[in-house]
Amino acid sequence: MTEATAKSAFNSVISAVTAVFTALIFGFVLLWVCGYDAVKAYTTMFNGAFGSANRFAETIVKTIPLTVMALGTAIAFKSKIWNIGGNGQFIVGGALSLYVALNFKLPALIMFPLSIFMAFAGGALWGGLAGYLKAKYNANEVITTLMLNYIASFLLAWLVRGPMMDPAGFGFPQTPLIDKSLQLSSLLAGTRLHSGFIIAVIIVILCWILSRSIFGFRMELIGESHEVAAYSGINVKKTTLMTMLISGGLAGLAGWNEVFGLHHRLLDDVAGNYGSMAIVIALLGGLHPLGIFVSGLLFSALLVGGGTMQRMSGIPLSLVDIIQGTVIIFVISRAALTLKSK
Amino acid sequence: MAYAVEMSNICKSFNKGKVQALDGVNFTLGRAKIHGILGENGAGKTTLMNVLFGLYRADSGTICVNGKPVEIHRPKDARALGIGMVHQHFMLVRTMTVAENVVLGLPSSKAPFLDIKSATSKLLELSNVFGLKIDPGAKVWQLSVGEQQRAEIVSVLYRGVDILILDEPTAVLTPAETRDFFKMLGKMKAEGKSVVLITHKLEEIFDIADEATVLRNGKLACSTEVSNTSKQELTRMMVGKDVLFNLKKSSYEKNALDSNERLKVKNLSALNNKGLSALDNLNFSIEAGEILGVAGVDGNGQSELCEVLTGLRRIESGDISVNGTSCTGREPKAFIDLGVAHIPEDRHMTGMAMNMDVSRNLIIKDFDRKEYSFLGILKSGAIERNADRAIAEYEIKTSGAEARVRELSGGNQQKIILARELGKNPKVIIANQPTRGLDIGATEYVRQKLLEARDNGAAILLVSADLEEIMQLSDRIAVMYRGRMTGIVPGASTMEEIGLMMAGYDNTKPEACNA
Repeated sequence: MTEATAKSAFNSVISAVTAVFTALIFGFVLLWVCGYDAVKAYTTMFNGAFGSANRFAETIVKTIPLTVMALGTAIAFKSKIWNIGGNGQFIVGGALSLYVALNFKLPALIMFPLSIFMAFAGGALWGGLAGYLKAKYNANEVITTLMLNYIASFLLAWLVRGPMMDPAGFGFPQTPLIDKSLQLSSLLAGTRLHSGFIIAVIIVILCWILSRSIFGFRMELIGESHEVAAYSGINVKKTTLMTMLISGGLAGLAGWNEVFGLHHRLLDDVAGNYGSMAIVIALLGGLHPLGIFVSGLLFSALLVGGGTMQRMSGIPLSLVDIIQGTVIIFVISRAALTLKSK
Repeated sequence: MAYAVEMSNICKSFNKGKVQALDGVNFTLGRAKIHGILGENGAGKTTLMNVLFGLYRADSGTICVNGKPVEIHRPKDARALGIGMVHQHFMLVRTMTVAENVVLGLPSSKAPFLDIKSATSKLLELSNVFGLKIDPGAKVWQLSVGEQQRAEIVSVLYRGVDILILDEPTAVLTPAETRDFFKMLGKMKAEGKSVVLITHKLEEIFDIADEATVLRNGKLACSTEVSNTSKQELTRMMVGKDVLFNLKKSSYEKNALDSNERLKVKNLSALNNKGLSALDNLNFSIEAGEILGVAGVDGNGQSELCEVLTGLRRIESGDISVNGTSCTGREPKAFIDLGVAHIPEDRHMTGMAMNMDVSRNLIIKDFDRKEYSFLGILKSGAIERNADRAIAEYEIKTSGAEARVRELSGGNQQKIILARELGKNPKVIIANQPTRGLDIGATEYVRQKLLEARDNGAAILLVSADLEEIMQLSDRIAVMYRGRMTGIVPGASTMEEIGLMMAGYDNTKPEACNA
């Protein structure tokens, strides 16, 4: 690692931390103005996120899918391809890998990598569809990925109530559980923390390597300008499609992690609002893998700690929304400021 | 009688005095006259008029309008004085109608509602008076370029201007449209309007203008009545008699065994972005150690030619071969791999990634080569060493290899492109306007480097709007006019000869003089 790359990693982490803490200070003032005990609220929030092994585990459990999905989002954003279809790619990846796990009887040693592959393929298919439409017909990816989100989420609603519904599930919209041998092992006894975390860390490292690779350079040039990329001998259409395949594939892996590590089955609305949070985390982390990892952690802590704060001190969860919103404003204004200083 | 406009001793510099765009320029515009401002690219024509229109503020100098000294700080002040300007790039909202565009930003008599009806009738009246054929109800996007220009002019006239500045209005027009346009200018003159016509086409001055001002390198070269001058004299004024650069041409020693034909183009045709013919059956070849200069007024197919020769634009028919290998229909990558270097026209948009640092910009064509990567991962050490070497060798002034190229001056940005493109001993170099916008020192450096590459055996296609540059560097000169090459002449031809060819006269086919 050279000096410059170390510096960029450091900068992305520092600016993420600064943005979140400034937003927290803002929230603190807000609480105080509204007449709450701000110190107590923040203590509960902190304890809620890190206070015990179990709570810390919950924070990490949230970090896993958010970080992996944000990494996928960041790869597209680096190429200035605005993939906002993380949710759809997450769902299709998760559903496809679960389908394979439920319907084929294979030894775990084969099924395990196969399910990972299918998750990536499912996400890549969903993302690649938008990528293909963009490369071939110059269709705006914001619209296509958003539309594909709806298709995926209705597809999921149908799957868990129809063909993949658990026959012994008392009519709940969910699939049967996958075999015990396929469920990711627990990392910390007595908590929900699963070994998907290790896989998430590996993905962070792989993404960092990707950003230093020939292919990463191609994607970055595409993001700079299509003219420069074409001038440099890059096949813009092919690279656009590849970028969307990888970006979608990573969201699919996030789905796999959630399904195989946490729920062990598909639930209705399994993706929640991960997609939009992944966008914020990707931007907050400066599109840098390490920055994203740290932002993912901070954001999950906010979510988990905020939930505890609401339960313990009666402060509405909307405060967490406000802090999140403030983070977004900081992220956007920082981007605007750096643009201006150019 | 007072002049409509009198500007005296106007100075304007950019980049904190580093670039002197206007240096003590005087300019007078007579009432009800058409005044042509001539000059090469970068001579200061548009800058001078932007000062008059209030887009720039002069560093020093005075402006009088109708004999009274005035201060023009912004376009609004200029409009209040009855000055209107039509820019080279149209400022119309494409989804609105002509009438809607015209009333945009003007107070309405039926406020808060728009008064399209009375605007329409006034527009029709204006178009009758000035012979501007225009349909006020037509949407702008449906109009041809000539019609859009009329829409621009009519919207300026609608605001009641007496002094109209037109920035290269004919650059986008067909000859027939240009004829109509000149008729309209005549009518405006008859109505007592004063018109400034910025152009770099000599013919237009003699076709329509009463007075002419020639600018060269930001200085006034001459100001005269058109009837008192000749094309030859104005040409001389435009390009200057004194040769600024003294470049030495040596000759490349040709290897008799090798095939020396590095670039060959046969029956080449291609379309422009609008789908119209841009290149029309071109045939030429360039040998090793030779510079073929391509002169011509901007927009006659030069840019398309460079794009075609680097694989960036599809060709309709014909054949391109580099070093004997046919490249027809191949991707840009194939051209790069065959040793075709490209110094693009627009270095900001095409030639470099402005937000990337110097070291990465130096390898945007080579990052996938073995020397810069191992198992698909970039070797940052090798990339930095390459940058340090290039910075030293090409004397690139930068705070370091990590500096973003956005922070560098134009000349140093161009040096980065030169280092990248010329550093690998290319077989063919396509150079499009390589010195445009550079200061004199950088210009000389670029020219020197191109000559060095030529002496090392590269075949160079040099496109330039600067005739002087073409004449200094080229071994042979071709002139492009409306997608064709109107003859290729030896480098020692006279400027007048080439000037005539630029206007469409083909000296190789004397019977074709009908332009």
